[in-house]
Amino acid sequence: MFLALREIRHEKLRYGLIIGMIVLVSYLVFILSGLAYGLAQQNTQAISSWRVDKIALNKDANDSLSQSVITKQDADKVKLTEHEAYLGQTGVVAKAKGQAKLSAQFLGIDRTQLIYRRLRVTAGHKPTKANQILVDDSFQDNGYRLGDKVTLNAADGQYRIVGFTHNAKLSVAPVIYGSLGTWRTLSHLTADFQASGIVSTQTNFKAKGLSTLSMNKFINKLPGYSAQNTTFSFMIGFLMVIAMVVIAVFLYILTMQKLPNYAVLRAQGIPAKVLVTTTVTQALLLVIAGLVIGAGLTLATVLTVPTGVPMSFNLPLLSAATGGILLTGVVGALIPVKVILNVDPVSVMGG
Amino acid sequence: MPALALQHVKKVFGHATNEVTVLNDINFEAASGEVSLVIGPSGSGKSTFLTIAGGIQTPTSGSVVVQGQALNALSGKDRDALRLNRIGFVLQAYNLVPYLTVRDQFTLVDRVKPADNLNESALRHLLEQLGIAALIDQYPAELSGGQTQRVAIARALYQNPDIVLADEPTAALDSARVKVVGQLLHDLAKTHNKAIVVVTHDLRLQEFADRTYAIMDGQMTLN
Ligand SMILES: Nc1ncnc2c1ncn2[C@@H]1O[C@H](COP(=O)(O)OP(=O)(O)O)[C@@H](O)[C@H]1O
Ligand SMILES: [Mg+2]
Repeated sequence: MFLALREIRHEKLRYGLIIGMIVLVSYLVFILSGLAYGLAQQNTQAISSWRVDKIALNKDANDSLSQSVITKQDADKVKLTEHEAYLGQTGVVAKAKGQAKLSAQFLGIDRTQLIYRRLRVTAGHKPTKANQILVDDSFQDNGYRLGDKVTLNAADGQYRIVGFTHNAKLSVAPVIYGSLGTWRTLSHLTADFQASGIVSTQTNFKAKGLSTLSMNKFINKLPGYSAQNTTFSFMIGFLMVIAMVVIAVFLYILTMQKLPNYAVLRAQGIPAKVLVTTTVTQALLLVIAGLVIGAGLTLATVLTVPTGVPMSFNLPLLSAATGGILLTGVVGALIPVKVILNVDPVSVMGG
Repeated sequence: MPALALQHVKKVFGHATNEVTVLNDINFEAASGEVSLVIGPSGSGKSTFLTIAGGIQTPTSGSVVVQGQALNALSGKDRDALRLNRIGFVLQAYNLVPYLTVRDQFTLVDRVKPADNLNESALRHLLEQLGIAALIDQYPAELSGGQTQRVAIARALYQNPDIVLADEPTAALDSARVKVVGQLLHDLAKTHNKAIVVVTHDLRLQEFADRTYAIMDGQMTLN
């Protein structure tokens, strides 16, 4: 530690630059993974908030909620318990007087069922009448207020915003919660149709006559979701590998440049073990400093970035990235360990 | 038992046609309480001799015995420990750590060898004797050649070694300083019973030596 710190203190510019590089690399990794994860979340946030395990859809819907309708006849064959809920989904364009149009996902739910019970309201209250809606708070960011009257699509009728809820996004669009009746109206369906799907918290839920699938499978089949995730995973994967190689190479060069000093220390009788510990300690100090500053920058970015930019952080993912960078730092510094151990003190003896 | 003995030491550099025998059948003993001086011209093998004696280099054949222990019988780790605890090196290229101040050069010794170093007042006395007490916060790059050399001497002596090996310790010093260093090494041998070996081409040191060897063409002879 002593040697490691003294050397950093004496060569501020050189070590400052290396820390700076690690800061930039870790910042890039953090921000990109934050964006990717944020976007992935916006596909599924609403679904996650219900905490359900299964969904049943029309057999011919190809596992897609938007392609699925369940007739009343089929729905009646499935006995709903308190663990299940009907869900009607349709894409809408919302418009209030004096406000910009917003594309949204309308979700029709039953006031007596699970999804309704699990909704968390951040302002106002849950809808109690058919013409009332609860909307994602991104509506608020776009200027919509409690009490605003909203038209949905070109349909007649107005719906009043009675509450906001946080993080209600489906397929990256804000969600509007309303009644199943409204869903029927918006989808131009008669009372012969019950819902788009049935969700359940029971892992062994199985709906007769319908296709029942796990939420994981359902989410992966959301339009664009898995393609998006694969793209981002590969981007982050490549970024990580390249970042780690760059850091390892830098620390390798750093260690190699110090060999003459190591020879001096060896000539003075300093044990080789001390040199190896010094090298590792120093690499760790540099990488940790870089990671901490990188994380600080990321935090500052998160606080200043507009609310519309999806960014969210996933602890396991971040830990893996951090751990990976730490590890490569040490590995990079240690690749030349054999050279350190065999450094020849005579090489610095002079004539 | 001599503090340091070299027996039939031979050192050959290079292979085949460009093979050079730098040391040829060297027999040498240094006793505690004595200053041994090895005098030879440049290129005569002085540094090679001294680094082999201190276990930094290994001889092609023959053996080096430090306080009764044959160096080639020791593991690398034990040799390091012996070097750190028993042998103080003053190297020809001074060899200070560039990013440590003079004070920290001594602190480093404390870090790796916590016991048996000079105490605070003995160190101060040593630095004053060598005229470098005022340089304590300087980095090696800020010192002159002579100052660096004296710091290197102080650093080696700070370890309080039984055996001091010094390679041209006076090369960059004026006559007054040569006397100071010569006297210092002489006193160290006499009052602290250390074995001091100095290799040099500086004849001014002769008056402080108990024995003088000459080295020439790989052979060593006692004057
Ligand atoms: N590592 C080495 N490889 C080849 N030749 C060497 C090496 N070290 C020293 N020599 C040669 O050995 C001879 C003695 O060198 P050295 O011991 O440094 O002499 P001195 O210190 O007396 O000037 C010189 O001719 C030098 O070129
Ligand atoms: Mg020499």
